[in-house]
Amino acid sequence: MESLSAASYQALYLLFTGDSSLWTIIGISFSVSVRALLYAAPFGILTAFVLAYFRFPGRRLLVSIFNTALSIPAVVVGLTLYILLSKAGPLGAWRLLFTQDAMILGQMCLCFPLLVAMAHSALQASDRRAWETALTLGASPLRALLTILHETRFGLIGALVASFGRIIAEVGSSMMLGGNILNYTRNIPTAIALETSKGSFAEGIALGMVLLFMALFLNILLGQVQGKGEVIQ
Amino acid sequence: MTLDNNRPWLKLQKLTFNRGERIILNNLSLDFRAGELTLLTGQNGSGKTTLLRILAGLLKPRQVGFEIAGNQRNWRQSYRYLREQICYLHQHPYLFDCSVYDNIAYGLKRKKLGRQAIGAKVAEALELISLEHLAKRNCHELSGGEKQRVAIARAWALSPRLMLLDEPVSNLDKRSRGICYDLINQLQQQQIGVVYTSHEPQTGKLNLSRHIHLYDGELSTKPLQTTYPPTVIDLVKERAGK
Repeated sequence: MESLSAASYQALYLLFTGDSSLWTIIGISFSVSVRALLYAAPFGILTAFVLAYFRFPGRRLLVSIFNTALSIPAVVVGLTLYILLSKAGPLGAWRLLFTQDAMILGQMCLCFPLLVAMAHSALQASDRRAWETALTLGASPLRALLTILHETRFGLIGALVASFGRIIAEVGSSMMLGGNILNYTRNIPTAIALETSKGSFAEGIALGMVLLFMALFLNILLGQVQGKGEVIQ
Repeated sequence: MTLDNNRPWLKLQKLTFNRGERIILNNLSLDFRAGELTLLTGQNGSGKTTLLRILAGLLKPRQVGFEIAGNQRNWRQSYRYLREQICYLHQHPYLFDCSVYDNIAYGLKRKKLGRQAIGAKVAEALELISLEHLAKRNCHELSGGEKQRVAIARAWALSPRLMLLDEPVSNLDKRSRGICYDLINQLQQQQIGVVYTSHEPQTGKLNLSRHIHLYDGELSTKPLQTTYPPTVIDLVKERAGK
């Protein structure tokens, strides 16, 4: 087993020399997670808005369900979707298993509750006068909704960043639904798991560094955006 | 200035609103004429804000009828019209997290006016409130009095028939109150009706058309108070003069 320093050095070498297999894995990872977030975000934010701004029977139960869903392990989501998407399953005809689309579906299921819970908190804390003010100034309900989203943008960006962080680093669902196929469904977390099991630490460390740098970058970005909000308020 | 000869453009009939068992507004009827400045008084929790929110088309009552330009309408047929014609200002008006200019332009953009027309109207509105120099300032950086004036200008820019001001001067100092009263009088001169709520029957220099009082869910008309009880400062000045 190579030493940690030697493996780290080789990891940096692989990253900065543009190792094609490594960068393909990084590309797949980002492409899948960004698409999953883009598909889930409109529904998630709309659900959060309805839960925060409208009163209807079962609303509190729904909020509790979404809060509970936050702690569902990725592997359980992967297993459930695996059963549904496998040939014998009810959605087998879709032929999605071991494709990027299946990974996207899994990641959407993972980030949706987090997105709803965090966006709900942000919208719940928003000022109700904003909604009435928009309406009394002639805005349609849809335009008033967009105004509310703009007013709560700092909280909503936080929800998006946290959701992205959750899905870019998850391994259970991607492994089960994507199958870890090289140049197709192998993403950063599944590649790290594979390389580590093979004893090839350099590639694992390089990919881990990418995840860490991304986490750092997103947190700095979030801090900047939220800091801007504080200055204004 | 009361315009008694004018026919009411809006009549509110048999308005009832309740929260659970508690009746907040009980079978109220009220009419509105152009340029009428109405003082609406009542204690905390008497239903003043509820009445304003219903008038603005923001809150659905249990029962109501409207007569608009001679036609009978129910709530469903009226609330969009009310939102177009009536502007409601909260006790602490909400200003969007953007510049003063963008706040005033908000409603004008919804009317789909051109950029130049919006710019001209915003400039006119800023002139009305004498805050031209703050056009680019973010609204969260304004004082309470400035926020109140921007909110009035934002509503005025839409040329509403009626503006509902919910205790607009409750947290303002004497100078800001004076500016606000002047603004409200100007609105009235432009034939914009105003409903002004307050706990107090004294409203400084406002040129009131009528005074209605809300108590126990019912409205009563009160005589207009043309002279006001002297304040402590007036009494001190009077004694010093002697």
